[in-house]
Amino acid sequence: MLSMLTNPTILGQIVVNGMSLSSIYILVALGFTLLFGIMRVVNFAHGEFAMLGGFAMYYLYAVFSLPWVAAILLAPLAVAIPALFLEWLVFRWFYQKMFQSMIGLLGLSIVMIYSALLTWDAFERNIPAAFDGILRFAGVILPIDRLVTIGVSALALGAFYFLMVHTRIGLAMRAAAQDVEIAGTQGIDTRKIYRVAFFVAILLAALAGALYGQVYAVSPFMGERPLFVAFIVVILGGMGSIPGAALGGLILGFTESFLGTFYGGSVASYASFGAVILLLIFRPWGLLGKPE
Amino acid sequence: MNSTAETVPVISKVRLGRSTSSALIGGGIAIVAALAIMPYLLDERFFYHIAILVCFAAIGASSLHLIIRTGHVSLCHAAFIGVGAYVSANVVMKLGFPFVGGLVAGTLAAAGLGLMIGPVILRLTGKYFVLITFLFGEILRMVFVDWQSITGGANGLSGIPAPAPVFAEPKYFYALALLAATACVAVCGRILSSETGRFVNAIRESEQLTECVGVPVIRTKVMIFVIACGFAGFAGALIAHYARYISPPNFGPLESLNLVIMNVIGGMQTLVGPLLGAIFLVLVPEFLRGYVQLQHIMFGVILILVMAFLPAGVVGVKDWVARRMIPHDRRGEQ
Repeated sequence: MLSMLTNPTILGQIVVNGMSLSSIYILVALGFTLLFGIMRVVNFAHGEFAMLGGFAMYYLYAVFSLPWVAAILLAPLAVAIPALFLEWLVFRWFYQKMFQSMIGLLGLSIVMIYSALLTWDAFERNIPAAFDGILRFAGVILPIDRLVTIGVSALALGAFYFLMVHTRIGLAMRAAAQDVEIAGTQGIDTRKIYRVAFFVAILLAALAGALYGQVYAVSPFMGERPLFVAFIVVILGGMGSIPGAALGGLILGFTESFLGTFYGGSVASYASFGAVILLLIFRPWGLLGKPE
Repeated sequence: MNSTAETVPVISKVRLGRSTSSALIGGGIAIVAALAIMPYLLDERFFYHIAILVCFAAIGASSLHLIIRTGHVSLCHAAFIGVGAYVSANVVMKLGFPFVGGLVAGTLAAAGLGLMIGPVILRLTGKYFVLITFLFGEILRMVFVDWQSITGGANGLSGIPAPAPVFAEPKYFYALALLAATACVAVCGRILSSETGRFVNAIRESEQLTECVGVPVIRTKVMIFVIACGFAGFAGALIAHYARYISPPNFGPLESLNLVIMNVIGGMQTLVGPLLGAIFLVLVPEFLRGYVQLQHIMFGVILILVMAFLPAGVVGVKDWVARRMIPHDRRGEQ
């Protein structure tokens, strides 16, 4: 194993895989943690929005054969804009009700999975790769599609960071995340903040689903994995903590890439579940979260 | 976890439970008798099968109800049912013990596992408990798939013998299942109406306050958790020897969720809730056979509606109507 670790080709492969996994995980987890931090909603249906993002990408890119850049930009919007109706219909009843939201949104997740199954059947669809080929750099082989995944995620994360830190609406969201009632008394329209936060969260989840669907495949059940990931990442980093989601995503992505390469996917899953359970026991508020 | 707004109805419910307990026992006996006779009147294999499934669901849901009453929602209850099922099947098939041995071993194995993890995970409350049990259930499901020599892996275990040759006939197995379900529900009811039951209610309302009054909070919670897991294992052993084939999806997160749904739909504050929920969740799929997707969609919609508007479940309709009459009443956040 040591010789494998010092082999630059394998090491480079692991790092690139780890980065691209991490970047998708962070996109999913950021939205999840945003919804939790601001609305106190545990979105068990988060993976299903990623699934819809995958299907949107499939239709836009593989069926309507739009240029890839247009497809990856439109797919998240095609999910997030109709999702605002779902926000009005379902989500708004669960704001600030943590326990009810868990069970109720599990219900929404079931509705979405089986509606998708009625519409699209269970079989997997493949989105053709947009970029094949590899890049050789200092003896390391870098698959271009992975690099593109990393790049797109980095751009999205950058935009998210800009929105949260340098705009008035981001400031309002951070204020609402700290204390909704106080934010309301300062003249912040919390209903509007909720809607914006929901829109951003779904946008990120759908983008993650579009990227994930292109690497693997698109099917009504593909949301299960992103949900698990969002769970683990958010517990690792701390529920509601945005830097925590980034840190948790990096840790999980690299752990899976390393352990998956050397010991197989099953060991990687046991290890990450085990680590998260230990963390929940000793530090339930996560690495960067705040104890309640 | 609960706001003060919800404390008052619970206290009144406790009083109500005590003053009408003899009426409840009488009603319970009448219901059990009616249930016992009903399939025999219809006398058809299919109805025995449904009735047996209701009995299994009732054991699972009412034992989960015990845990939920302490204020902890466990999302891994079906995994404990799986532990009981696999242990019992192995004890009977590989070690050659009679069915009773398998039943006892399955019950003890699930209770033992509960005793091992309970003291650790029961220190977590609210959302953290939900998350950790969700992950633990997922780990157990992975173990069921990976530990092929014991569980048969993804293919499952088949050829599990019936408890006795006569019980291979659903008509006779139903008597066994009804007996088991009645005993389980009776024990759960007895626990909840005892002093321990009042500890449980107090723990749900406020752990710190209960601890200050001198109730051993963790010990009570672990005891309840172990009993509930034991019942889950007990149900698992029965399921294994009734279905005679078990595989990991029978004990996965969706099944755990179904047990929670039974509690949620029926109502989480009285033992009647999970029983109503169990009957509902077993009967509806049978009437909607051939429309599996629609049936799941319907369950999902029901979950959303119940959680959004009726957090106390069907049993709580009366309270909900009463609450609507009072203006400016804030619904409690859980």
